[in-house]
Amino acid sequence: MSPDQAITAEPAPHTSALRPIPAHEHAELDPRFAPPFPQAALHVLRNPQLRKNVAHAIDVIQTKRGKLVAEKQDWQALRDAASAIRTEALDHLGTYLHEFEKNCTAAGGTVHWAADADEARRIILDLLRQEKASEVIKIKTMTSAEIQLNPFLEKSGLEVYETDLAEIILQLGEEEPSHIVVPALHINRSQVREIFARRMGLEHLSDDPKELTNAARAYLRRKFLTIPTAISGANFLIAETGGVAVVESEGNGRMCLTLPQTMITIAGIEKVLPRFNDLEVMLQLLARSATGERMNPYTSLWTGVTPGDGPQNFHVVLLDNGRSSILKKPVERQTLKCIRCAACMNACPVYRQTGGHAYGSVYPGPIGAILTPQLMKMEFAQSLPYASSLCGACYEVCPVKINIPEVLLELRSQVVNQERGQAGRFFDPMYLGLRIANLLFARAWRFHLAQRLGRIGLRLFTRKDGWIHSLPSVGGKWTQTRDLRGFPEQTFHEWWAARAKEDQ
Amino acid sequence: MSTSATSRQRILDRIRAEEGPKATGAFVGSSAGPHAYFRRGALDRSACLSLMIERLREYDAEVVECTPEQISTTIDDQLSASGKHLFTAPQGLPSAWMSASFDWKVDHQLPAEEIEKTEGVVTASFCGIADSGTIVLHHSASEGRRVLTLLPDWHLCILRASQVVETLPEYFDRCPAPPALATYISGPSATADIEMTRIKGVHGPRFLHVILVRDES
Repeated sequence: MSPDQAITAEPAPHTSALRPIPAHEHAELDPRFAPPFPQAALHVLRNPQLRKNVAHAIDVIQTKRGKLVAEKQDWQALRDAASAIRTEALDHLGTYLHEFEKNCTAAGGTVHWAADADEARRIILDLLRQEKASEVIKIKTMTSAEIQLNPFLEKSGLEVYETDLAEIILQLGEEEPSHIVVPALHINRSQVREIFARRMGLEHLSDDPKELTNAARAYLRRKFLTIPTAISGANFLIAETGGVAVVESEGNGRMCLTLPQTMITIAGIEKVLPRFNDLEVMLQLLARSATGERMNPYTSLWTGVTPGDGPQNFHVVLLDNGRSSILKKPVERQTLKCIRCAACMNACPVYRQTGGHAYGSVYPGPIGAILTPQLMKMEFAQSLPYASSLCGACYEVCPVKINIPEVLLELRSQVVNQERGQAGRFFDPMYLGLRIANLLFARAWRFHLAQRLGRIGLRLFTRKDGWIHSLPSVGGKWTQTRDLRGFPEQTFHEWWAARAKEDQ
Repeated sequence: MSTSATSRQRILDRIRAEEGPKATGAFVGSSAGPHAYFRRGALDRSACLSLMIERLREYDAEVVECTPEQISTTIDDQLSASGKHLFTAPQGLPSAWMSASFDWKVDHQLPAEEIEKTEGVVTASFCGIADSGTIVLHHSASEGRRVLTLLPDWHLCILRASQVVETLPEYFDRCPAPPALATYISGPSATADIEMTRIKGVHGPRFLHVILVRDES
């Protein structure tokens, strides 16, 4: 029995935890089908178990991260350097991708280019068919989640086995990821026990994390040794060497990178680093930001094919899927500096309350709020730029210094411009109000007149204590949750003018 | 691959159009950007080694120290204490390190199933990084192929004091050229995926033992 009983005392039924609108199979985190953020968030806010699970996990990571960042005296200098490296990589992206392709090919790898999700899925399926694969093992990769690879491969008749513990929990429990580093943080130990017991046929399993972990180890051991084809993501592509770096904790990554005959790596085009030495900056920041460790247990680096060691067929699929269109926008392009550490979501007061699913995308939290709408070319997920209080905590912790609030504001203005152009919006109270305000603020006399009329009008609603407790119509939305000061009898201008008169 | 080839051109064209005037089209060899972070550590040698040991122990790794003359006997002691008998050895492991009191499988392209059956593995290493307690393998003949330090549940690693640096950038300075293969190990395999409770040993070796050889005067 564990000291964490308080958290597990009332296990919520895990399957009903988060199914707002199953509009489409596997579509809950597809921004094209997901409900708007406020609607999805409301659903989560009514689930106290889920909020407890999320808050607990976030607190643990944040405490560890805080301690390790504090001991690193050159933390800000490392952030500056990382930001410069990532900016440089994006400024010369074509050059570095070219260089990566050349060096990876020279080392025995094959590089494929996919313009969108559909093409990436087809390339991967073709490669698997060439290998006559019926099963495939996978290292956790957000990019494959982005292109919804698993359901596609399963529909094409392949057995797909996730090997990261959290991903196994999600796969067996038919759950969706809610965080990009600890994707099952919304599921507690008793829920994991239920999933494993049901899907692995282990009825006598306890909810001790150690026992649950051992169950996963046993479940996967044979698969590692027998399945000859694997799919991975990449933390970094190194242009100088054509090498790929994967960071992980459990060793499932090393298993997938070492034992199979064929390895297919899928990576976004922005993942490239110019030089091998750039890792000296990135690796100091990544684990500290992501999991609050000085270094993650295992980092693997490989270059093409090494005879006698590891997979002898190696493919890299470089995925665009909207990224190159982000590159041309001066403010938004910094989004592509992201190294997927999740520090922003761990620091975000909104994420802490809602968890990841409310964002309706495999990329939740502040980075998801700016990345998802852009990957969707601003055609979907327009509510996400508003899923923030603009407090700036995400910018402060970001190891590559992405100014997320700045991008949020830029995207909000784009959403407003989109909406303003829509015919039905003309009589929308908000836009109507803004047009009136625009009219009033344009001339001083109009403004003063409005003040006077407002004072007379609001007198009706002002109580004796000087406060307005409730307003009708649209104004009621404000007074629903807070009181409003009554209009003062005199504005500052009036007071100033009166004072000048007295002095004469 | 004709579609991929077209996509390649399309993607590269789109990127090129956005690269702006700063793009030279040439690979920039030396590190660009500010360099205000610490390259060198501030500790003296003995404090640096102590830090390395402390960090390894924080990861639940066992650490013992010895002189260069004592390597073989220290390995022997560690193997005896493990209670195990069948060990894997990389092809280039010094034969003096392989005591005849144990059974050894020397890796001449051993199949994974054979390695899986052994109880432990003994290897050399390329570097130790004290700041994070990291052991670096470049998979030379004495460090072994990657699979060797992965399947056996018990890993004994020989690290010389002269190989230990304090900071990560110091390790990069020690690389004569970027390695084709490398594994950075910071403590035994672990997960915190269930309620952030750290569990040791998911898939990689659950037990990491380090012999620190005091080869500096």
